[in-house]
Amino acid sequence: MDQLVIQDLHVSIDEQEIIRGLSLTVPKGEVHAIMGPNGSGKSTLAKVLAGHPDYTVTSGSVTMDGENILETEPDERARKGLFLAFQYPSEIPGVTIANFLRAAVQARMPEGEELEATDYYAQLYKKMDLLGMDRSFTSRSVNEGFSGGEKKRNEILQMAMLEPKYAVLDETDSGLDIDALKIVAQGVNSLRGPALGVLLITHYQRLLNYIVPDHVHVMVKGRIELSGGKDLALQLEEKGYDWVREDIVEPALTS
Amino acid sequence: MVKQNTTLDIERNLGNFAYPETHTHDAGIGLSEKTIHYISDVKQDPDWVREFRLNAYKTFLSKPMPTHWASKDLEAIVFDNIRYYLSGGTQAKRTWEEVPDDVKRTFERLGIPEQERKFLAGVEAQFDSEAVYSNIKKAVGEQGVIFVGSADGLKEHPEIFRKWFGKVIPTGDNKFSALNSAVFSGGSFIYVPPGVKVKHPLQAYFRINAENFGQFERTLIICDEGAELTYMEGCTAPKFNTATLHSAVVELVALKGAKIQYITVQNWSNNVFNLVTKRGLAHEEAEVKWIDCNIGSRLTMKYPGVVMKGRKARGEVISIALAGDGQHQDTGAKMVHAADETTSNIISKSISIGTGRATYRGLVHVPKHLKNCKNNTECDALLINANSRTDTYPAITVRGTGNAVQHEASVSQVSAEQIFYMQQRGLTEAQAMSLSVNGFVNDLVRQFPMEYSVELKRLIELEMEGSVG
Amino acid sequence: MSNPSAVLEEKPAVEPKTASILAGIQSRVDDKLPVWFGEQQRVAWTQFQSLPMPVRTDQAWRFSSVGVLDLAPYITPPSLKESDSREILERSVGLEETSGRLVFADDQFLERDILSEKLRHAGVIFQPLERAMIEHEDLFRRHFMSQPATLGSAKFAALHEALVRSGTFLYVPRGVEVALPLETFHWLHAENAAIFPHTLVVAEELAKVTLVEHFRSTSGQRPGFSCGVNDLIVGAGAKVTYICAQDWSDKTLSIQINDTTVGRDATALNLHLGLGGKYSRLESLSRLTGEGAHSDMLAVAIGDDAQEFDARTLQDHVSPHTNSDLLFKNALNGRARITFGGLIRVEPHAHFTDAYQKVRNLLLSDDAEANSMPGLEILADNVKCSHGATSGQIDDEEMFYLLARGIPAPAARQLLVGGFLNEVLERLPDEVLVAKLEELIAEKFARRTR
Repeated sequence: MDQLVIQDLHVSIDEQEIIRGLSLTVPKGEVHAIMGPNGSGKSTLAKVLAGHPDYTVTSGSVTMDGENILETEPDERARKGLFLAFQYPSEIPGVTIANFLRAAVQARMPEGEELEATDYYAQLYKKMDLLGMDRSFTSRSVNEGFSGGEKKRNEILQMAMLEPKYAVLDETDSGLDIDALKIVAQGVNSLRGPALGVLLITHYQRLLNYIVPDHVHVMVKGRIELSGGKDLALQLEEKGYDWVREDIVEPALTS
Repeated sequence: MVKQNTTLDIERNLGNFAYPETHTHDAGIGLSEKTIHYISDVKQDPDWVREFRLNAYKTFLSKPMPTHWASKDLEAIVFDNIRYYLSGGTQAKRTWEEVPDDVKRTFERLGIPEQERKFLAGVEAQFDSEAVYSNIKKAVGEQGVIFVGSADGLKEHPEIFRKWFGKVIPTGDNKFSALNSAVFSGGSFIYVPPGVKVKHPLQAYFRINAENFGQFERTLIICDEGAELTYMEGCTAPKFNTATLHSAVVELVALKGAKIQYITVQNWSNNVFNLVTKRGLAHEEAEVKWIDCNIGSRLTMKYPGVVMKGRKARGEVISIALAGDGQHQDTGAKMVHAADETTSNIISKSISIGTGRATYRGLVHVPKHLKNCKNNTECDALLINANSRTDTYPAITVRGTGNAVQHEASVSQVSAEQIFYMQQRGLTEAQAMSLSVNGFVNDLVRQFPMEYSVELKRLIELEMEGSVG
Repeated sequence: MSNPSAVLEEKPAVEPKTASILAGIQSRVDDKLPVWFGEQQRVAWTQFQSLPMPVRTDQAWRFSSVGVLDLAPYITPPSLKESDSREILERSVGLEETSGRLVFADDQFLERDILSEKLRHAGVIFQPLERAMIEHEDLFRRHFMSQPATLGSAKFAALHEALVRSGTFLYVPRGVEVALPLETFHWLHAENAAIFPHTLVVAEELAKVTLVEHFRSTSGQRPGFSCGVNDLIVGAGAKVTYICAQDWSDKTLSIQINDTTVGRDATALNLHLGLGGKYSRLESLSRLTGEGAHSDMLAVAIGDDAQEFDARTLQDHVSPHTNSDLLFKNALNGRARITFGGLIRVEPHAHFTDAYQKVRNLLLSDDAEANSMPGLEILADNVKCSHGATSGQIDDEEMFYLLARGIPAPAARQLLVGGFLNEVLERLPDEVLVAKLEELIAEKFARRTR
């Protein structure tokens, strides 16, 4: 029951099919990495899971702990425990991180219950300390004028505060230099545990040196074509995506 | 995602109620010299006021509608269908106990808690066109501050009143200032003696509560040398089916070194024409600051101004306009520099939702041979949903080598991606929208006194709830 | 005898060649023009007569000195003397290298440098208007005065259409790139001469061309009136650069009406250099009709004495994904006045538009005056628009720095003004053009300091 299950998912945008029968299961407590070349549909998968309105699910299902989430609004899914760390987080001018997160935490409280400011800040500062973040960070507008690294750390901070059941990390390493990458990876690792399932989407293997996955899946043209242990990532790094395309996908098609 | 909204009809629970009309004085519908005489008779105007009204009426008739530059929607006003004077027939009240029960209920619905009233320095609340409630905190009176209705002001303090009345905004300034001058009733008269700094803001809440009833209050505030005052004006109006006209005139005089801050939070119902003339006169080293927040109404035309006639005078207009579906907020500022080293600052933020339209009009005038005058103007517009519209029409004149003006404007919108991002964090679309909008106006809202900024945020949230879905 | 003109205040002079232009088109007989054209001119004349003169309360003429617009003194100029023509041709010195050149004086065509064989073979047309309307009637009629003047000068556009008799027709066929600029000269010569220079540029798909026009007076003392129209039609993916270098006498009344239509993925660049004139009005409109269209609208004005510059612009975004960028810089000395009234209009459905508008005024004297009315009308979503208008002075610190280096005040001032204006010139794609404009600006300074 405690797992995120994607079954035979088909997704289109403007009548063009991008995800073509994808199935994947992420149990709580595990970290699954999806790797794939550009245009394989990785980022589409992340957005579809979060309910982005630009994409149309034509068939298939996505269940979270047994509950179908495809029919729910993006905010409802989020409140049920699905978190997406964006590849390109939006800037929200004038809204401080503290106020933004407060509104997000408040939205998860039962109706009529008010979030105590002192409890909230205690929690926020605890998480920031855990991630080694300066407190002045919270008074800045969400993502406005942030460096690539700051944006990604902000995503991780939000993930820490909102305590999701499942987190989808979309190209979290993009725009990060090696130092920033280490910091972000450390943040993700500190949140790993039996109560969290992670779906890590990445183009490069290097992120997986710092966030070591339990399983690696290779996505090509809208489908998972190959799954394996963490060593698969190294194999990919060495042989490139063409190896999957030529040696695995195509023989399968012709045989 | 950001869905287009066609039937925005916000439930303003706070402003959607009316009480039986039990007015003892009613000038009837339409405007003529007879109406003016009637008003003067009922109000027992001194002769000079009666004459002032009659002259203003002639000016009103001679002035064309400003439709050559302003919205054609003005033509929808039928002056003959408007009630120009209505009075509860009651005298201004001194104590809360004397206020009629239905009026008290109105205040309750407006959300002014009784404790807060005690906290206020004085409340000049206007119910229909007469001041029915007026309570000046003892301490303010002891300082020599005069805070009365304008009708009492012109009778009891003619020596101060006449000196400035109609001097900042001449009758013929525009068609609506002429109209106000002809039929004005209600409004405040405040005089702060030299050096007196009024600690707590003075407040006046008022409401319109009669169908087809135009409200023409007239406010005159004088801060003598070195005096300081903050005045707050807030209004909500009940909803009616036919157009209502609100046309006020507010004149401020800041003598040498004085400071006046005038704060308005307005939330008119969607059928009100709100055509207001507001201007301040700042003498040497004096400061006039307008903080103006416009929500609601069918059409608002309001351009608070400051004439800086003394050296080092300072003028400031900070305005927020929110144009919901079917509304047009046509607001801005006028800064007239008439002395050396005067500085002015205009910050305007507008939000257009649905078919709402926000227009900024500004005038900055720096005549020649003035030295070291500065103006800074910033206007930013935020668009939400397709069909909304925003316009900016500033006019800036500068002469001479000693002066600098700077005008900047930008237009942006709440993007679908931004809303999705926030929804992914668990906020509903409406919450996300409201958070974005509050973020946009946040730096300005901070300039409002606490209780107003809370009310303002609540009003914005109310508007946002109706704007999505 | 009937008097056809409602605005006519003076009786027509006896000698038809020196009659006021207000005497009507009957006073000027030009048999060479086609019949259809004559008919179109008569219609335009009626329109001119029926339209009211501008008044200052018109928003489009706010702050303008409309009092100078009395047209009664201006005449249809007499034919040029042979010796004058020769002198004018000698003085028509512009760019060193061009692809072609046309010279006009008092609306008479004087001379042209013939296009290269290659360009002619490619189908490029660069010829006087009066010939183009006969030789390329269809093409000409399709585009001539095809857009209404909407920025205030409908009356003057009608006058132009009624009385135009010379100008430039430039046509660049699909895919043809004209490497070197084309150049024209329009001279005002006779006392009180009225001219109506017309320029029509049609660049077809993927064509590329640059046109530089010089507007000059033969004498700095002589009054005159120029009422010109220049229309640019920029086809899909084409690129047109248009430069107008205006240096009329300081007694000249000038109205220039521009209409630019920019098609899909096309680029238009307009630069207007205002040096001369008593009252010079520029109405410039860029209409971005195709997705991906881009328009640069640039202007520099240097005002002195009692000169007045009056600019009205419209950046009209009709299609989505279009962008426009306006930059006007003005330096004002003496009692010079500038009025800028500009509007960015983003039509409904023109989403994803970027539009910028920037006006900078440098006031160099106590009597100089700058009026700015930068406007925005946004009716679409997902747009990025901003405008800015500033008026200020030369920075004292900068001035002091130059003086401290031993540079005399007038030279220092000129340097700083030049630096201020440079931001506009730098937007030109061609260094030769930049150098030419800098030279013209320097000449104006030299004239002033003499």
